[in-house]
Amino acid sequence: MSEFVFATAKYDSGDWDASPLVPANIIDSVARYTEIDVAPQGVVVPLSSAEMLEYPLLYVTGHLPLRFTDAERRNVQKYLDRGGMMFVDDHNHDIKGVFHKTATEEITRTAGRLVDLPNAHELYTCFFKFPDGPPNTSHELNGWGDNLIHSHLQAVTRAGSNRIEVLYSSKDYSSEWGYHPDSKRFNQVDNTKFGVNIIVYALTR
Amino acid sequence: MRSRAEWVLRVAAVGLLAWALWGALRPARSAAVSSVDAGSLRAALARWSSAAPPTAVHVTLGGGDVLPGYARQWLMAFRRDGVGVTWGQPLETSVAPLVASALEAEAVADPRGGTRVRVAAPGGAGVVVRDALGPLDSVRVGPRAQGATVMIPASLRTIDGVVGSTPARGAVVDSLTLRHVLVLGRAGWESKFIVRSLEEEGWPVDVHLAVAPRNDVVEGKPTAIDTALYAAVIAIDSSVAPVAPRIATYVRSGGGLVVVGSAAQVFHELDSGAPGVRVRDDEGAPSDTAPRRSLGLMPVTQLAVDAVVLERRGDLVAVAARRVGTGRVVQVGYDDTWRWRMAGGDSSATRHRAWWAAVVSSVAYAPRSERPVPADVDVAPLAHLVDALGAPTAPAASTAFARRLDIDPLRSPWIFGVLLLALLVEWASRRLRGRR
Repeated sequence: MSEFVFATAKYDSGDWDASPLVPANIIDSVARYTEIDVAPQGVVVPLSSAEMLEYPLLYVTGHLPLRFTDAERRNVQKYLDRGGMMFVDDHNHDIKGVFHKTATEEITRTAGRLVDLPNAHELYTCFFKFPDGPPNTSHELNGWGDNLIHSHLQAVTRAGSNRIEVLYSSKDYSSEWGYHPDSKRFNQVDNTKFGVNIIVYALTR
Repeated sequence: MRSRAEWVLRVAAVGLLAWALWGALRPARSAAVSSVDAGSLRAALARWSSAAPPTAVHVTLGGGDVLPGYARQWLMAFRRDGVGVTWGQPLETSVAPLVASALEAEAVADPRGGTRVRVAAPGGAGVVVRDALGPLDSVRVGPRAQGATVMIPASLRTIDGVVGSTPARGAVVDSLTLRHVLVLGRAGWESKFIVRSLEEEGWPVDVHLAVAPRNDVVEGKPTAIDTALYAAVIAIDSSVAPVAPRIATYVRSGGGLVVVGSAAQVFHELDSGAPGVRVRDDEGAPSDTAPRRSLGLMPVTQLAVDAVVLERRGDLVAVAARRVGTGRVVQVGYDDTWRWRMAGGDSSATRHRAWWAAVVSSVAYAPRSERPVPADVDVAPLAHLVDALGAPTAPAASTAFARRLDIDPLRSPWIFGVLLLALLVEWASRRLRGRR
């Protein structure tokens, strides 16, 4: 049976590779906390290529405008229709920033309307428990970016169910998780645990 | 000499009158022989039952005509009452002969419904399956085959199978009670997309997926593994080993089990065969024409004696099944079918879903409740006809034979003419006796 491979989406517009340390850090956490067969290396897959369909969970991030080309949009729609899930994180942590504006427009156009994800959603309990919803990031607590603490993530859910197709975060987890895995031991609390929940959710729902 | 001739004529006339008197007093028969076609048979049966029945009946069936059950029973009742009953088809070559066929229909254990129709028919025959609204599917029986199976994606009560021009009508006489499906294994894309496909197909699915020690993902209420709760269990991988004995008991008591990939390593007594060395996928995207050819495969080897191969990939057995106790087990060698759904051709999601639904339906335990059989069901019309009325006979021969045997003295103009002539000649002979 094939192993889980952490895939970062590459898109034509913007800086898709803004968080190169996140994949290794999340892979480390998945291997550390779970029995999931996980590949030690992540991959980068272009959204314009059919290769993206081989990775049912895609991580999308960036600071710059996110605009899909026609080929990317077609692939993303096909990907979501077949059961793929995208985790899109605003690396700016700024709801007035260009990534947030363009990404939410593009997601709405391609997948459907983003709505606040209830904090009782099973995403927050499927492995580690987050009774208050999405964990806050240091950028939020330090008042950087939009100077807001976002109480909810947003999502496009599959019609007729609460299954997430696109998970959208304005909390800048890309900055929060963007450090070398070996540095994890200096943290009092491992802040990548929520990343494990996203992967467990994607693999089981 | 003259008086002797007159005496003979008188005796003949009296004899004919006596015969006519006997004909008038004996139990009435309407017609000596009645030959009817299928279209007018119902009215004829009603007429014969309320008035005098004929002495013999010949039913002529045109192309595409069969006798309904009530008509067969009615004719058999006439036969028991002494009426000769025969049947046949016109000798014209344009009339299609009745074909020996039989039809069986059963409900498929699938939440979306579905009817499996098996038609027994001669090799090379064309089979059309239809319901009251029109044709549903058609198939040609292979030259060496003895029938065909057609899957209809709808729940039907009665269904017709027309072989050549001979219609047979079957009925689904059971209704099924479907329970949940339980999926067990490690968290992974294969388990996720099997669950997703089955849920899209309408199956209620309970899930117990291992993620970490003492931290499993559970959906639904997977409690006891029992036929009272589950129609089928899907074992995704070898992580199901701790519950394998319970699953074996469940299967022996009638449950269905789908063993996927490495899970075969823990079900030795239930497997169709041993799991072979995994053949890696060719890393090409699954095509629409042969979608499972590019999937990873753990072939089924050392097949059990009673195992049935359901699917091959080249020389390798990809899917096999067998019965264990009163349950059924299907062993699927593919372990990455999710790639088919995600990376396959345009119809891949639909076909992946349909394939998995068919696999589960093939083993699913579904308690049956009998329903009454509709009166107009005739699953083997020609066989029933021959059983009731015997082999077909040529219409001309049978009616001529009956006509020779049965002449009504009251209605025959020949008898009347002979009688009249005898009396007239005898009377004339006496009147002219003294004349020169």
